[in-house]
Amino acid sequence: MSTIKKAKSNISYGGGAIVSSDVKSYANDPFIVKKNEEARIAVSKLTLPGTKKK
Amino acid sequence: MNLPHYNYLTSDFRSYEFYSEGPKGRIKKVITFSRIQEDPAIYNLTLVDINPVSGLTSDLTVSDNGDRDIILATVAYTVKDFSAHYGSHYIYAKGSTPVRTRLYQIGIAGLLEEISIDFDVYGVIEDIAYPFQKNVNYEAFLVKRK
Repeated sequence: MSTIKKAKSNISYGGGAIVSSDVKSYANDPFIVKKNEEARIAVSKLTLPGTKKK
Repeated sequence: MNLPHYNYLTSDFRSYEFYSEGPKGRIKKVITFSRIQEDPAIYNLTLVDINPVSGLTSDLTVSDNGDRDIILATVAYTVKDFSAHYGSHYIYAKGSTPVRTRLYQIGIAGLLEEISIDFDVYGVIEDIAYPFQKNVNYEAFLVKRK
């Protein structure tokens, strides 16, 4: 007799992270460090809402 | 906000992992929040793919998995979780290419009513942040939890 295996859904509604110690920090990932440096330069020139133009 | 999104995992509420699923298969993605400015605090949001062979991160991969809105909703929920743990700060996001930034813009516009319940959303043009409006082309985005 064949069995049907029901796949566990990967989609949720309403949010809420699943806390897992298996997730590593990517803070020192070279690619992400580079992206952050680019963003840091862009943001330094940014005029935020409700502030005067730089 | 009640949008379909992928289940996502975190250990520190700064780095999040989830899997995109679609015609191109199961693709591991990572969202990170990194502080890039003090006073006012601004965090950079990155969304990258993890190469299943090399394990290296990249934001230039074209996943084309047909799930843009689910991914954007997942990002929105991580912003919410991040803000709940670290406070309501500006979060800066920019696509890796103009095409991708434009896709983000279309996605944000499509989800704006839902996203605006919890967030103020701004678009950046020539280094100035304006309240996000549909049908306006932006170079980057800022969001802040209300």
